[in-house]
Amino acid sequence: MALPAVRFTDERLPNGLRLVMSEDHLAPVVAVNVWYDVGSKHEVPGKTGFAHLFEHVMFQGSAHVGKAEHIALVQAAGGTMNGTTWLDRTNYYETMPSHQLELALWLEADRLGSLLDALSQENLDNQRDVVKNEKRWSYDNRPYGTWNEKLQAHLFPKEHPYHHPTIGSMADLDAASLEDVKEFFRTYYAPNNAVLAIVGDFEPERARDWVERYFGGIPANPSIPRLGNLSLPAVIGKERREVVPDRVPLPRIYFGFRAPPFGDVRLDALEVGSHILAGGRGSRLYRRLVRDERIAQDVTLFALGFVGGASIAAGWATVRPAVTIERVESAFLEELEKFGREPVTDDELARARALVESEELASLGRVEERADRMAMYATLFDDPDLINRQLGRYLAVTADQIRDVAREVFRPDNRVVLTYVPAEPPADEAANAEEIPQDEEIAA
Amino acid sequence: MSVELVAQRPTSGTPRRYEFPPFERHRLPNGLTVLTVEMPGRPLVSASLILRNGASDEKPAEAGATVLAARALSEGTERYDAIALVEAAERLGASLHAEAGWDATTAGVDVPAERLEPALDLLAEMVGRPTFPTAEVDRLREERLNDILQARADPRRRVEEGFVDTIYTPDSPYHRPSGGLRETVETLRPEILGGTHRRGLDPEQITLVVGGDLEGLDVPDIAERLFGGWVARPGSARPGPVVGRSAVPRRFVRLFDRPGSVQTEIRIGHVGLPRRIPDFHAVSVMSTILGGLFNSRLNMNLREDKGYTYGANAGFDMRRGAGPFSARAAVNTEVTVPSIREMLAELGRLRQEPVTAAELSAGRDFLVGVFPLRFETPGPVVGALAGLVVHDLPDDELSRYRPALEAVMIDDVQAAATAHIDPDRAAIVLVGDAERIASELETGDFGPVEVVPAEEEAGT
Repeated sequence: MALPAVRFTDERLPNGLRLVMSEDHLAPVVAVNVWYDVGSKHEVPGKTGFAHLFEHVMFQGSAHVGKAEHIALVQAAGGTMNGTTWLDRTNYYETMPSHQLELALWLEADRLGSLLDALSQENLDNQRDVVKNEKRWSYDNRPYGTWNEKLQAHLFPKEHPYHHPTIGSMADLDAASLEDVKEFFRTYYAPNNAVLAIVGDFEPERARDWVERYFGGIPANPSIPRLGNLSLPAVIGKERREVVPDRVPLPRIYFGFRAPPFGDVRLDALEVGSHILAGGRGSRLYRRLVRDERIAQDVTLFALGFVGGASIAAGWATVRPAVTIERVESAFLEELEKFGREPVTDDELARARALVESEELASLGRVEERADRMAMYATLFDDPDLINRQLGRYLAVTADQIRDVAREVFRPDNRVVLTYVPAEPPADEAANAEEIPQDEEIAA
Repeated sequence: MSVELVAQRPTSGTPRRYEFPPFERHRLPNGLTVLTVEMPGRPLVSASLILRNGASDEKPAEAGATVLAARALSEGTERYDAIALVEAAERLGASLHAEAGWDATTAGVDVPAERLEPALDLLAEMVGRPTFPTAEVDRLREERLNDILQARADPRRRVEEGFVDTIYTPDSPYHRPSGGLRETVETLRPEILGGTHRRGLDPEQITLVVGGDLEGLDVPDIAERLFGGWVARPGSARPGPVVGRSAVPRRFVRLFDRPGSVQTEIRIGHVGLPRRIPDFHAVSVMSTILGGLFNSRLNMNLREDKGYTYGANAGFDMRRGAGPFSARAAVNTEVTVPSIREMLAELGRLRQEPVTAAELSAGRDFLVGVFPLRFETPGPVVGALAGLVVHDLPDDELSRYRPALEAVMIDDVQAAATAHIDPDRAAIVLVGDAERIASELETGDFGPVEVVPAEEEAGT
């Protein structure tokens, strides 16, 4: 089955704002998604967690919008919204009933144009407390909750901006000043650093008029600093291991590897391969560790794509009671090693392709996801049309490409192994990360 | 550098007409119901088979059997072993799944339209001819026992389990997790799971819902071929009444000690409501104002005003019987007592004072406006129809949802709050560091404080 082609327009306002629009009148819904080319990788030591704290501040009002009123107006209009921050970017989005598109555009423009008019110490302090509670809830008070932070720190050297997690540190959050926030805004929040995607049930001519009317008067920042060269060696150099005592009943082993950057066809191959290794109950790791040998409670493996030098391939297995950690680790690694030695079978590849195809069909069925993807492809690769080609790239992956990338990535000298073991309470930090790490959101 | 913005807020355009997608009802000669929803332009079709054996109908000694039986459906059938079944589904690009909740067992598949029939064939095989192989059931049972251990260690799951165990009497199934307790799960064997599953295998009680771009597909005809031969199995049964009785005569605090916790997980609430109630729409608006919107009273107070939490919310979990009502937040340990005080005050204020006109329209307009957004793709549409089946609601329930919300007024909201929220008979259930908060809780005037020690925790 072929996905229906996504037709879109791609243009720039004089102030540099990139506007990508795509009509789809199936449902009375329209999605607005603004991507800013700024993420936690733009943070400097001592100011970690800043991009995300700032995202919260973006909901605290602007010249014509009161504190928390942005969300109130969107919800009262029957819409949904959120903001998310991740290593490479920050985005803000609204999904609206189609007749409320203009409101979403006006709200996004007002905060881009006038955030600092409304910013106060009180609001900053309030959101700092909220974010600290977000960190406690999502990481510090959860079983295994520190793994993501630890993997990043092991996989990337101290001087690389992927070394620290997006949520930041408590000390840095405490130190964030009003002036820091203002400076961050003036530097990165400019129309020429943003992509605005509009997808769904709307008239492009009217939408373009609105965009010009609301965003057109916001000046560009001609001097947005560019990040230096973030390239890295393909492997970390030697195996790194850490044992983490935590308040957990079952040990869990996390594996992390440096992987090819997002956009590289080798990462496509790794993603298709991770379906075959751990993409469900028919996958190799699940079959062997969970079903046949019954040594693990669960297994997982996935790639997190980043554009700045290297991505992360990560996975874990939870060790069943009365099974040794060593046995689970060696079975897991044996499967990875085999993956780099022999090509997958035709049937395995065909099943993975069919699943990837259905997954793409499911996610691209929603205008919200389509807007997000087009803004992402425009921001990270200057190529919104990737929305029409990415599935083809996945389907073109061959068994040899999967074997080759597995051999490059799953090497002992590119491996981080974190072993969470039960500790006597109280532990300082604890917690259950059943899910894949998420970007940081404004609201749970 | 001058910025030119438009101060004037835009007004809304004209809403496009929206109707929940119409569905057709068919009945196979053996009594099985088929609902089809045509959604042009949606090539990924969603199908769900709804069996009316939920966890609330299982014997207390077999608690967890329904959930485990649903998980075991894909572990082997008369024609396929587990691997062959999952591989056959994957070749179709189909995700085949089955799960059970309090009210039903649901098995379903999402698949591109042109492969619907072979996917439904696998669904029929999985639900109609499971074999519950002993070795696989043993494994799933052990996995569930391990999951029970894991849940104890996770404050979010611990507080939910502690809350329902506190508010319901032990003769109510809702006092336990739907997945069962250690002592009951340990006894589950293939014959028990088989018996549990057969409770739902009466075609008169089964509904197949299929939604998506169905052009060129005769779904009732396909269903007749695949499900038309099903007959009621011995032991099949209709769902019975569910006991949902409160174990909280007056307010008290139960704190599950978790030394070293940096936050306290808070649940405040009591036995709530079943889904089938006359004032459903008023309750929906009321709980949206209290704790559903981002700008709800709880979230604005605890998060945006005080910064105590990443988020506070509240709601009714409506089931066939009276599910729980709770207000929820995870707060910084130091502010546990003030947080509880604010939450109780918000519950009381909703009863005592009418909501403002602005609050009413915020809550109502959100629910009305967001309704079409929820049903963009087939999966949620099929899910909503499954809800009608499970709760025996009329066919026009979804099309009258928005007009019924529009008719809710300020008095209705207050009446719903007064009738269904009672902070004086609420349990306050916490997971947190007793050493840091127990004595302050005693002074809080919240009612008696009971601390469940951490050692006891570990031993259960």
